Amino acid sequence: MKMTYVALKSLFSSPATANYPAEPKTYYPGTRGHIVLEVSTCTLCKICEIRCPTGAIQVDREGKAWSIERMKCIQCGFCVDSCPRKCLSNDPQYTSPASEKITDRLDVPYEPPKRKPKPETPPA
Amino acid sequence: MSGWLSAILYILLAPVAGGLIAGIDRKLTARMQRRIGPPIFQPFYDLFKLIDKENVIVNLYQNLYLTGFLVFNIVAGTLFFAGGDLLLVIFALALSGIFLVLGAASATSPYSHIGAERELIQMMACEPMLLIAAMGLYLLPHSFQVRDILAVDKPLFLYLPGILFGLLYILTIKLRKSPFDLSTSHHAHQEIVKGITTEFSGPALAVVELAHWYETILILGMIYLFFAWNPWVAVPATIGLYLAEILVDNTNARLTWRWTVTSSWLIAAVAGAGNLIVLFYFLKAGF
Amino acid sequence: MSNRTIIPFGPQHPVLPEPIHLDLVVEDERVIEAIPSFGFIHRGLERLVEKKDFQEFTFVAERVCGICSFIHGMGYCQAVERVMGITLPPRADYLRTFWAELSRIHSHLLWMGLVADAFGFENLFMNSWRIRENILDIVEETTGGRVIFGAAKIGGTRRDVTNDKLKEIGRTLKTIEAELHAITDVFEQDYSVQQRLRGIGILSREDAFDLGAVGPTLRGSGEPMDARCEGYAAYRDIEVEPIVESDCDSYARCMVRIREIYQSFDIIRQVLCRMPDGETEIKVKGYPNGEHFARLEQPRGEVLYYVKGNGTKHLDRFRVRTPTFANIPPLLKMLQGCDLPDVPVIVLTIDPCISCAER
Ligand code: SF4
Ligand code: SF4
Repeated sequence: MKMTYVALKSLFSSPATANYPAEPKTYYPGTRGHIVLEVSTCTLCKICEIRCPTGAIQVDREGKAWSIERMKCIQCGFCVDSCPRKCLSNDPQYTSPASEKITDRLDVPYEPPKRKPKPETPPA
Repeated sequence: MSGWLSAILYILLAPVAGGLIAGIDRKLTARMQRRIGPPIFQPFYDLFKLIDKENVIVNLYQNLYLTGFLVFNIVAGTLFFAGGDLLLVIFALALSGIFLVLGAASATSPYSHIGAERELIQMMACEPMLLIAAMGLYLLPHSFQVRDILAVDKPLFLYLPGILFGLLYILTIKLRKSPFDLSTSHHAHQEIVKGITTEFSGPALAVVELAHWYETILILGMIYLFFAWNPWVAVPATIGLYLAEILVDNTNARLTWRWTVTSSWLIAAVAGAGNLIVLFYFLKAGF
Repeated sequence: MSNRTIIPFGPQHPVLPEPIHLDLVVEDERVIEAIPSFGFIHRGLERLVEKKDFQEFTFVAERVCGICSFIHGMGYCQAVERVMGITLPPRADYLRTFWAELSRIHSHLLWMGLVADAFGFENLFMNSWRIRENILDIVEETTGGRVIFGAAKIGGTRRDVTNDKLKEIGRTLKTIEAELHAITDVFEQDYSVQQRLRGIGILSREDAFDLGAVGPTLRGSGEPMDARCEGYAAYRDIEVEPIVESDCDSYARCMVRIREIYQSFDIIRQVLCRMPDGETEIKVKGYPNGEHFARLEQPRGEVLYYVKGNGTKHLDRFRVRTPTFANIPPLLKMLQGCDLPDVPVIVLTIDPCISCAER
């Protein structure tokens, strides 16, 4: 019978649940939602690819692209911690549900610094 | 209003009213749990969805039994609202329960078997009190006819407080609410899965649901009888008691069947029979 | 052999969202014997240590369990740090303790909801989880994850929490605690709850000890054993008195957990007021070489972590003994001779987490 107090009090206070998804959820700024890449600073160094525990990131140096398999990523943020250029970040918004496994492929405009062409040795 | 008119009204309107009551019940329950809860018309949406589903049956007799369950529920209610014999109403209701048990027992699932067994135990727990209630209602008008009981010009609940209490107690069993939602309940989480309704799906489940709505209205009608001398008291009292029933549902754990049987018989014996005996002698002494 | 039936219980059962299968041999509604079978979700996490480097593996270790995830990650880190001879900065130790206790509170609140659901008390279930949600909010705000905190790393913690925030959290926790009393009172005093818990699932002190029960299951039988007394992390400064109940039944185990929630609030309070300033992590150099056993207290009981490194970035061997694994034999003992309606309640009083038992 101890519960009567709680039940009656609940009846006359506003519900604790939200009418999701009609009312969108608010996230905390630190929530690890999904990974975003700042393409302008990425150097295609592949460190995030090597560090990612699930192998969700693929870096394609030739094709100049950085891609992530959204459904494979576990939002651990290890790539964010290990990127030397700090161009990855966790956005609070969760990956939206989907009926197929999506891969996001981003073109990275990075130009590797041209190696100085070796002075051509004149043919003997 | 002639009896037959109200009987026809019952057949037509009880599903609507029963469904609405179920919807309000769910909404209130949700609010007591600090949830928003489903829309009030949700039970109807559920019902239509169930009807739309494929009819999967585990054996041939199942649907027959379930139809029996529905039909006898309606028969019981119709008799009641037509002003017929209260005893007949109670036995028709018991018969409908038996049909549900047969339907569940005809499947092979151990869950539905145990559910059926428990339903029988619950009926065993209810029946004595229902009969005592019928006897108590008989004492003043000297008739089992509902229309005669309705015509009594005295506040019956003052004469039959013990019986009303006992009846309310077993109502919790009949309405499948905590603490006595043993054989099946509206919350899926239970040790015997969905108990008696485990093996019913789609339209079959819709029939069970519909029958349950009819039953709810009939039960509310029975409570109404106790206050019938003045409709202005009777309607709020019936609503109030149903709300109390929802509150009880939300403030208790599910108890075991041993406890259910012992306590309901104890109450039937003490409150019900005690009330009956006292009233009998009072009436004999000429009050 | 009268009327014996076998009732399958799990691996998919509405009361028990855990993939264990029990064949309940029942006579009428009395359970004669329970025969378990396992292995529905073996994920081979221990073997994965040969594929992932030891720092990456923190994330795998954390996913051994979905509820006490933080303490798993912490246990793994602690074992590796011991092997590598790393001493953590004090703030890291305190933050870890803070999160570990939060995870204990949320795990116990989850358990309260589940057990209420097992005895058909829906309102209590909803209200326990409503309060748990507030704890999860704090966790999400401080670590970025709701149940997978992802806050531990080898050499410290991955995030810091500002002192202002910690003060604010201290105040929030006070209101949560006040709200919680209304719910725990129901567990302690409500008649119908007592009917379903008292005298159900008796596990004597000797049986509990001999069958190797751990955590609240053991302490509910009167054995004062709590790995936090070992003094790892910040527990070396904070006194933890093991919470014991001597009734040996489901009610005693329930009370142990409820009192532990309040104890955790108390520990958090101490952690918050003693929180040292400074770094939260140190640089890790080199690779682990050697072996270590770490013992930690999880919400469900004592967990053992064993790691063996060989001087490369991959560990040689990693082994976890999760508390549920240790609590299964006592459970089977408790189930003998109980009534069918009590089975879910008894199974839940060990707070089973089969997914972590099978790793
Ligand atoms: S995101 Fe960072 S780590 Fe990954 S390739 Fe680009 S620069 Fe390197
Ligand atoms: S968050 Fe973790 S899983 Fe996701 S891409 Fe980064 S490292 Fe990989």
